[in-house]
Amino acid sequence: MEHIYDVVIIGGGPAGYTAALYAARAGRDTVILEKLSAGGQMATTAQIDNYPGFDEGVDGFELAMKMQQQAERFGAKTELAEVQEVKLAGEVKEITTDSGMIKGRTVIIATGANPRKMGIAKEDSLIGRGVGYCAHCDGMFYRGKTVAVVGGGNTAAADALLLSRICERVHLVHRREELRATKIYHEPMMQAENIKFHWNAKVVDLTEEGKVTGMVLENVKTGEKETVPCDGVFVSIGREPATELFAGQIDLDESGYILADETTRTNIPGVFAVGDVRQKALRQVVTAVADGAVASHYADEYLAEQA
Amino acid sequence: MAAKALRTEEFNKIVLQDKQLTVVDYWAPWCVYCRRIEPAYEKIGSEYGDKLLVAKVNIDEEPELAEKYQVETIPTLMVFKDGEPVGHIVAPDSKAKIESFIGEHLN
Repeated sequence: MEHIYDVVIIGGGPAGYTAALYAARAGRDTVILEKLSAGGQMATTAQIDNYPGFDEGVDGFELAMKMQQQAERFGAKTELAEVQEVKLAGEVKEITTDSGMIKGRTVIIATGANPRKMGIAKEDSLIGRGVGYCAHCDGMFYRGKTVAVVGGGNTAAADALLLSRICERVHLVHRREELRATKIYHEPMMQAENIKFHWNAKVVDLTEEGKVTGMVLENVKTGEKETVPCDGVFVSIGREPATELFAGQIDLDESGYILADETTRTNIPGVFAVGDVRQKALRQVVTAVADGAVASHYADEYLAEQA
Repeated sequence: MAAKALRTEEFNKIVLQDKQLTVVDYWAPWCVYCRRIEPAYEKIGSEYGDKLLVAKVNIDEEPELAEKYQVETIPTLMVFKDGEPVGHIVAPDSKAKIESFIGEHLN
């Protein structure tokens, strides 16, 4: 007989596993589909200092493992499977994965967002070894050192300013001739004596000795190359929500985030969006776990109405 | 069976001498992304154990092995057939990608 879950959660980050915890504790037959391992973006952050309850901070990977074990203690199941296609309309939702079809009466989308990458070789393998995507998270590790910020928008500008107060020297690498960031950032940046601007430049390679030792910049106009020594490279060129699978079925905003209000309900009955994938003001572990709890409440209510 | 940790001596015996079909995960304890792969890789160890040896090499313990096979970034997964490396991938982002990589080298 085919199995139909009450709740299918796509993505095993903090939002997904909190939704699973609450759904399982409410007695709902719950499965999490995760393509690699628990935690999502959080799992590559070695030190999380803004999740309450951990006065010394907490390792994101360990926190993820604990969230998984906690949800599984109440009966939630994890399938290591990559979702290939979804059919969300209808009472029974169909999720096609690399290890078969999964069916559920409700679906909670917790696929998250990923920092946009530079797309150069060595980038992935040097994450956590000099390559970072969150100056607020990892900037403190570079006190007194030389770092680079890649990007020219508001986040890049804020990152560069923050790092200029912590680090010896900050190289700002931007593809254009001027910042895209709003004017309020321009003056303090120009006044910061330790920020050096590299205009019309992009990073084409990284040098390393186990960790980042420098970057190779290419001038996008002249093609000229230059190696700049640095201990860290912070990439601030935006984020990409993982919503390709849902385009055409779920309403997205212009940046690709799922439109769902604080109830986490999407335009499709029985389908919810939680965590970084949802359009929201603040993307943090605490707001992600809050979404998870809220979604399971409304999923439970939806299931009760359908019964 | 979980992924088998290989030291150089065992690597030489199993992979080079006995020419056993093997996939090796080159990793190190300080590698943040390596940890993310581990749960999926261990599972692959138990699911594929009868088809090939699923192994891992700590490059801090065995730097010569990493150097010999020109592993410059980790995590790198490398398949050995008849004692020779026949393919590798760096930092796969899903269990499915690891499986399809291994699948290419199974008959």
